[in-house]
Amino acid sequence: MKRRFNSKNPASLIVGVVVLAILAIAILGAPLLAPYDPVAQNAAERLEKPSEKHWLGTDRFGRDILSRTLHGGQTTLLSSLLALCAALAIGLLVGMAAGMFHGSALDHILMRIIDVLLAFPFMVFAMVIAGLFGTGLVHLLLAVVSVWWVSFARLTRSVVLHAKNETSYAAAKVLGASNLAIMRKELLPKAISPVLILATFELGTLILSIAALSFLGLGAQPPAPEWGSMLADGRAHFFQAPHILIGPAAFIVATVLAFNLIGEGLRDRLDPYEKLEL
Amino acid sequence: MSSDNRAEALEVKGLQVAYEQNGRRTTVLNSLDFHLGKGEILVLLGESGSGKSTIARAVTGMLPPSARIGGGSLRVGAERIPDLGKPGIPWERIRGRGIAMLFQDAQSALNPVMKIKDHFKESLLYHSLASAEEAAAISAAMLERLNFKDVRHILECYPFQLSGGMCQRICLALALCLEPAVLVADEPTSALDTVSQKEVLDLLRKLQREMGLTVLLITHDIAVANAVGNRVIVLNKGVIEEEGDTRTVLTRPASAYTRELLAARNRIARPAHGLPPAAGKPVLEIVRLSKTFGGKKRVLQQVDLTLNEREILGILGQSGCGKSTLAKCVAGLERPSEGRILLRGADIGHLKGKARRETSKRIQLVFQDARASLNPGRTALQLVQEPLHYLRIGGKEEREALAAYYLREVGIADEAQTRRPPQLSTGQCQRIAIARALVLRPDILICDEAVSALDMSVQAQILELLQRLQRQFGFAILMISHDIRVLRAFCHHIAVMSSGSFGERKQESGRLHESRQPHTQLLLKCAGDMEDGLV
Repeated sequence: MKRRFNSKNPASLIVGVVVLAILAIAILGAPLLAPYDPVAQNAAERLEKPSEKHWLGTDRFGRDILSRTLHGGQTTLLSSLLALCAALAIGLLVGMAAGMFHGSALDHILMRIIDVLLAFPFMVFAMVIAGLFGTGLVHLLLAVVSVWWVSFARLTRSVVLHAKNETSYAAAKVLGASNLAIMRKELLPKAISPVLILATFELGTLILSIAALSFLGLGAQPPAPEWGSMLADGRAHFFQAPHILIGPAAFIVATVLAFNLIGEGLRDRLDPYEKLEL
Repeated sequence: MSSDNRAEALEVKGLQVAYEQNGRRTTVLNSLDFHLGKGEILVLLGESGSGKSTIARAVTGMLPPSARIGGGSLRVGAERIPDLGKPGIPWERIRGRGIAMLFQDAQSALNPVMKIKDHFKESLLYHSLASAEEAAAISAAMLERLNFKDVRHILECYPFQLSGGMCQRICLALALCLEPAVLVADEPTSALDTVSQKEVLDLLRKLQREMGLTVLLITHDIAVANAVGNRVIVLNKGVIEEEGDTRTVLTRPASAYTRELLAARNRIARPAHGLPPAAGKPVLEIVRLSKTFGGKKRVLQQVDLTLNEREILGILGQSGCGKSTLAKCVAGLERPSEGRILLRGADIGHLKGKARRETSKRIQLVFQDARASLNPGRTALQLVQEPLHYLRIGGKEEREALAAYYLREVGIADEAQTRRPPQLSTGQCQRIAIARALVLRPDILICDEAVSALDMSVQAQILELLQRLQRQFGFAILMISHDIRVLRAFCHHIAVMSSGSFGERKQESGRLHESRQPHTQLLLKCAGDMEDGLV
């Protein structure tokens, strides 16, 4: 019998929501909370260690890291959440359609598209998009979303295929449910929780990918702050001033962790079978 | 048969087990004592929730993590365990050689990627009972002893190439290779059809005679107890109601509970009220229906069947004979490969989309696993409204009133209507499933093994309920089952299916024994033998 740590405890959900709430307040309130202008340079205070004046130190242009991190969070968090939601929606839709009409021409076409996208290097794909449409955050998000839905679609499809073997699916069909009703009432609820769990894990990768593309100059344009580009920026000075990395890294870790906890908590709440376990 | 002057093979004293969940403690076994003599077959008979499986798990050290052992001692042959609740019991030494086990689902007890011969080799080598060369000879000899015909071929097979009954006999052979002091068999034949069931049980008797095999057999089925048991313990809510010689307990029960169990069984065997005559026009005609899966596997072959209005028609068959596929074709879950399914003259076999959904109003299906067919997140009242929602029938109030009415009809009282499946018993779940099927007022209700998973007393209640509802609403029933007894008592007519076709036309259920089909005769004989001596 399966036993999971904290399986019936709402603690993970509460901790996750609290951490995320603190982060959200800090990030959204950045214009009020940040002690300095995030883009103001100060040549006299380059690469300073954390002090009372600059809590997280300064970077190679003498900009305050705390202020940059808080402001940068807006870009990073909002864009990755936006990309995630879009990818989730597309992935669920495609996965449900492919699973529901398993074996049909539609299923085959969708699955081959997915195979092609999976085989294609994501970074190259993003660069092609940037080359076609130009750089900038919107195009970057477009590139991310057009690849990222694939994993959600695959997971959704496999959940749907599994659910179609269950008695409850046959029961709904016998009771006269239309395909749409079955998808909405029987299949979607079953797909939601595993997809949400995957989403919480994917969010971390997503944040890092957006950061990596920003570093390549495809995303947020300097001097606008962004967690990923700050990380990339600090890497060059890692041995001299490791503190540059700490601010954005800590925020990324905290964000991803909070989402993981929320995902874990949600799963326990969403899955009615959990309650039946002895 | 007294066991006082014989050596004990197994002795359990003061066994106490409770389950703890969400801080709530439920005592399952309270200070239980029993013993098992060498060469004896002891049957633990009880309904679900009686704690019979907990006993099997406790004596083999396989209780789930939520179980709390309050105390109890165990003796298997020379091995003594003074306190089962203490950690550090050498189960590796006891399991296999001391106590061997047989499970309900034999197919999944075997490793699907290992050939049968490798199962034997692994088990014999692990217990260092034989070398690899000797293992082959030992396993072949053991299979021969267990009535296998083509032993060399069987040893080269994978588990999924064999039937459920064969897998169970292989599990038995594997267990016996280790020469265990006791064989604990937990519902070993519940998943098998009548013929394989009889085969396995006969084998147990034979091995008991020939090798002095000692068996602790756990079952809910009185016929199984009757067929193999030397001694029976009747278990109710973790307490021994009655203990004694099989014949005495099953024919002259001393406790009220045992009498109830037997009465429930007899209620199924002889319906209290006679069936009203089934005179009517044909409502469903199946004409030369065939179903082929994946282009080669023929499951149904040229099946012909007619169901009349108000008729209760039983379809009897062993597992894998195609009876469930037939039900699915009629219910619109599978598309026939050939042939026609006529509902009042109109072919419904190849309908699509909206037209297919409309036939849901005419044909409904009740599944074996009621719990799985109900969404665990919805209340009984919501569940019964589902079909009305799907087919857009009535307004909100009308739907609710209809659902409440049918729930009351199936015996779900108002206060239970707001509960969800996890808070309801399996019998109640099946009642809800029936209400949900009837809310559309269908002409035909298909019951696919609808009572097979239920306790005997609940089975009787559900069958009586179906009979009453059938009289009241006048629908026809297509009852699919492997259980001759249920069908004979419940149906006007019975059609016997084997390997995807009916050997002969449907027979009046009272005259089934006049059938000349050898398969029907075999089924009747197996069922009869197991009941032999029962009143």
